[in-house]
Amino acid sequence: MTKELEHNFVELLEKHQNIVHKICRLYTNNQDAHNDLFQEITIQLWKAYPKFRGESKFSTWMYRVALNTAITLYRKSKRSIKTQDFDSVLFRIKAEEYDDTTEKQLSVMYAALHELNDIDKALVFLYLEDKNYNEISDTLGISEVNARVKMNRIKKKLRSILNP
Amino acid sequence: MDELELLKKDWKKQEVNLPHYKATELYPMLLKKSSSIVKWIFIISVIELGLGVVLNVFTMDEKFWRDLENLHLKTAIIILYGVSYLITFVFIYYFYKNFKSISATDSASQLMRNILKTRKVVKYYILYILISAGITSLLVFIFVFMYPPAELHVNPDKINWYKVVALGVIITSIILLVIWGIYSLLYGILLKKLKQNYRELKKLEL
Repeated sequence: MTKELEHNFVELLEKHQNIVHKICRLYTNNQDAHNDLFQEITIQLWKAYPKFRGESKFSTWMYRVALNTAITLYRKSKRSIKTQDFDSVLFRIKAEEYDDTTEKQLSVMYAALHELNDIDKALVFLYLEDKNYNEISDTLGISEVNARVKMNRIKKKLRSILNP
Repeated sequence: MDELELLKKDWKKQEVNLPHYKATELYPMLLKKSSSIVKWIFIISVIELGLGVVLNVFTMDEKFWRDLENLHLKTAIIILYGVSYLITFVFIYYFYKNFKSISATDSASQLMRNILKTRKVVKYYILYILISAGITSLLVFIFVFMYPPAELHVNPDKINWYKVVALGVIITSIILLVIWGIYSLLYGILLKKLKQNYRELKKLEL
């Protein structure tokens, strides 16, 4: 039974691991910390998995547990402080179809994204992942209206960063 | 084009740039131990909840009871200890109940609320321990002057009780405030990130 549970879990995690990696990339500044957070999220997912009833999609459930770990449960390890921080902007690959101006805009936006506080990051992350406001408010435990208002404020902020 | 829409489009493209773990690399991760804040809170809280009991046991030697008898305080202290164990039990019950309610599958705000609620029980327990320790110390302090041991050379009839009580209250309060200050500071450091995020989330509700 446990072996089967383990097998099913690892299979699902392998398939949906991009979600976790994206959260790690957003909430950490170097590869060591990224790996550390990935490890902790995996443990939290595995601990919660026996109670996963399949009422929601595995990925939806995963967003919730992974974000909760990144925002609340994860304690930064000392190891992650020693290593050199990476530049989030350099970490992304450039898309050929964009002109220089768009590339520059994107770089600025990624940098701004990393500067947001943990809650705002979660909000933007879910938005970028194409989640609707109902799902966003459900995951964070805030009202839909407030999620919308906050998102509009963040958009405005980004716009002002891009067009000072 | 909306700035965020541009970011969203690019965000999807970045997926190819993400690391990928094979199943064989994921299995060992399930066996690793968690270092989450909840685990630390549990360990620290159990130590704190046990602290009062352990301190009581270690200070209760024969001399302690003999001294109390000389001060005519033995019965009062026995009653106080009985009540104190009962209260400790209530605290442990609420701590356990709240701790069990912590679940990573809750919404972010519910999870934070439950963690803070759990910690609050322990915080109140420590406050209770300090206050009861203060009252006991004050009681002993006053009774030492009421029934002074021979080596103190004090005549209870000539004592200015206002001064004795005031001195006792001031000394006890200062000691307790310092301990509470240090405790709150350590507790604040542990929960700094959590409280900050909870405040941010609450701000959204205004």
